[in-house]
Amino acid sequence: MPDTIRTRMAVITGAGSGLGRALAIELCRRGVPVAGLGRRADALDETAALAGDDFFPIPCDVSDPASVAAAFDAIGKHGTVSILINNAGVYPHRDIMDESPDSFMQTLAINLGGTVACTRAALNDMAETGTGRILNVSSFSDIAPPPCSAAYSVSKGACTIFSRALVADLGDRFPGIVVSTWMPGMLATDMGVPDGLDPALAATWGAALALWQDPSLNGAVFEMDREILPPRGMKSRLRDALLLRRRQPRRLAP
Amino acid sequence: MTAPQDKIWDVIVIGTGMGGGTIGRRLAERGLSVLFVERGPAGFRREAQELNGDIWNPQARLVRGYWPEPLHARVDGVDAVFNAPLGAGVGGSSVFYAATLERPEPHDLDDSPDMPHPTGGWPVSYAAMQPFLEEAERLFHVSGTPDPLGEPVNLATAPQMPAADKALFDAMQRAGLHPYQGHTALRHLKGCASCLGRKCPRACKMDGRSAGVEPALATGNAQLLDLCEVTRLRAERGTIHAIEARHDGRDLTLRARAYVLAAGALASPRLLMASDDLANDSGLVGRNLMFHLSEMFALWPGRTHRGSGPTKALAFRDLYQQGNIRYGMVQAMGITARYGEIVHYLNLAYDRSLLRRVRVLRPFTRLPALVAARLFGEAKIFVGILEDLPRAENRVLFDPGDPRKLAITYDIPPELRARRKQFRRAIHRSLKGLRRVFLGVGPDLNYGHPCGTLRFGHDPKSSVLNADCRAHALDNLWVADASFMPTSMGVNPSLTIAANALRVGDRLADLLQGKETRDA
Repeated sequence: MPDTIRTRMAVITGAGSGLGRALAIELCRRGVPVAGLGRRADALDETAALAGDDFFPIPCDVSDPASVAAAFDAIGKHGTVSILINNAGVYPHRDIMDESPDSFMQTLAINLGGTVACTRAALNDMAETGTGRILNVSSFSDIAPPPCSAAYSVSKGACTIFSRALVADLGDRFPGIVVSTWMPGMLATDMGVPDGLDPALAATWGAALALWQDPSLNGAVFEMDREILPPRGMKSRLRDALLLRRRQPRRLAP
Repeated sequence: MTAPQDKIWDVIVIGTGMGGGTIGRRLAERGLSVLFVERGPAGFRREAQELNGDIWNPQARLVRGYWPEPLHARVDGVDAVFNAPLGAGVGGSSVFYAATLERPEPHDLDDSPDMPHPTGGWPVSYAAMQPFLEEAERLFHVSGTPDPLGEPVNLATAPQMPAADKALFDAMQRAGLHPYQGHTALRHLKGCASCLGRKCPRACKMDGRSAGVEPALATGNAQLLDLCEVTRLRAERGTIHAIEARHDGRDLTLRARAYVLAAGALASPRLLMASDDLANDSGLVGRNLMFHLSEMFALWPGRTHRGSGPTKALAFRDLYQQGNIRYGMVQAMGITARYGEIVHYLNLAYDRSLLRRVRVLRPFTRLPALVAARLFGEAKIFVGILEDLPRAENRVLFDPGDPRKLAITYDIPPELRARRKQFRRAIHRSLKGLRRVFLGVGPDLNYGHPCGTLRFGHDPKSSVLNADCRAHALDNLWVADASFMPTSMGVNPSLTIAANALRVGDRLADLLQGKETRDA
């Protein structure tokens, strides 16, 4: 079926709670149909009640590749995947002395494995149409891991690298498939902190970034509503100054 | 569907570029069963990558449709290893080309007292080739205006030139030149991004894939076996019986009534050498390798035309020949030299210069480029194509111990060096009144235009193929890529490759369908 007469869908993982739910509500509010993935059907139904008729609840355990494959088969009946927000994640606060190899890898299976499985599945439609938007929700915990966060920090660092690897594999071939990393900030969610940001506010930034298709955003990293430019060495900075070539970080208009 | 190895095809076409794609289409449209065997992948239709010589990993290259192995070139005795601008995927190199389909001049093929031909003339005259050139122009949707110095042509109307091109066009006319809108195989569909130099994500740019393999597959008579590397042709008593190939980690044997070699002028002779030096009674397999020399220069249409898009719309043939000396045509490269691109060319020149060991200075090629961009606005990059003449010493090498190694040896003869200097001077003089800068320093071989390595001719002693492009000593091996050319002409080879593929395809189809006897 030509993509013009198929509905273009956004897929959000972890849509049953927190930021994922807020993103689903925000994208639906902007008229984008959303397939929401999550483990708990009742939680997805709550999101559906808040997001409206454009929300399709799809129960799925992203750490299980078979479950992800079944979910994307189901999504395929509703439309073509054009946006993927890899948001699902767990943050078990556990000292390394309390981790077993299995418990550690289970966190990676959800945070990293889910991102890889959903991205791979979404790319089937995106490579076919030549367009797509992938937003990987991440954090800075890989740079300075806090205590009791080993598995989470490793998984988030890996997701950031995965974004860069996607750009290396796809950027030149599919300029219309745009991959960015987004650090939403400290949120007042179950996973976040009590005095954090309202997830609804963060969702306005995330939705704006997800709907911004500019190929120059490929590989870009945003924190909250502001672009984080890649670090540059002394020599590059000197050359930029000589050539009057300074890049300004971009901001998201909510 | 039956597996490709389980049936005897009418024709197996090895390679799917300009030659292989075009002849496969012709054969399939005439009702013959055709198997395309392609070393590279079919790829995704929406891909839009450019060639990239800086990617070295063979798997990463093959995925993108680039030739996986680097070229080992010994030029004037100096060894270099680099990635040549060659494709390996459906459409071959042509999916990356700039879609310039220009006709040769009659003297490129014909011998005459005024303009003696270096080989005494091709075995097929320009007049005999002309209907096929015209047909190729139609099949590839070529648009442009006639060369005021040449024969009338009946082409699709090209879109209006952007202002910057018009300004250059007028300036060239004022300088006494005869510019025209270059002949380009673009359908100019709505939203056409003129994918010159990269894969076109739609069937808008016409190449070996969109105008060859895809229409061939659409007939239902053809099948494609991609990611399949032919390793050997098996011959017995003057007939090819089968080809051996590797596909998906397995050895395959494929059979057909006739075989068309179209792997490109570097790979086709190599495959014959890998097959016990097949078809080489003349000793010329892989020899007479030619490239064009590219003479690149920048022209500035003036600051008022900043932001005018790049096109390939401009060309002229005033310098195609001078007296009986062969030069070639001049054409826009489809590049608007914004600041970054001039930097790129200056860097290339820098890397060839004596300063190349002083790496720390290299970034400062940006400064003159920045000044030029500020002062003069954007430049358009042009290239003069200088014909290369055949020399038996210049050739493709084959190493039985490393059969995949792509290697050539090539010496630039004094004749070519001298002719290049004259050509450069002539370009400079002819563009009097225009702001112009040559971008190259030394002779610049165009590794994207190899040809001549299986030349055709009447005499089996001095040619590999006969006038039909069938190997002299084999009754069912045909060639449809640029290998057949006895001389390199003063134009891009693509249109002539396509035209010849149609001609050879007709001859082959006539034979297989019993419309002509073999020795007619």
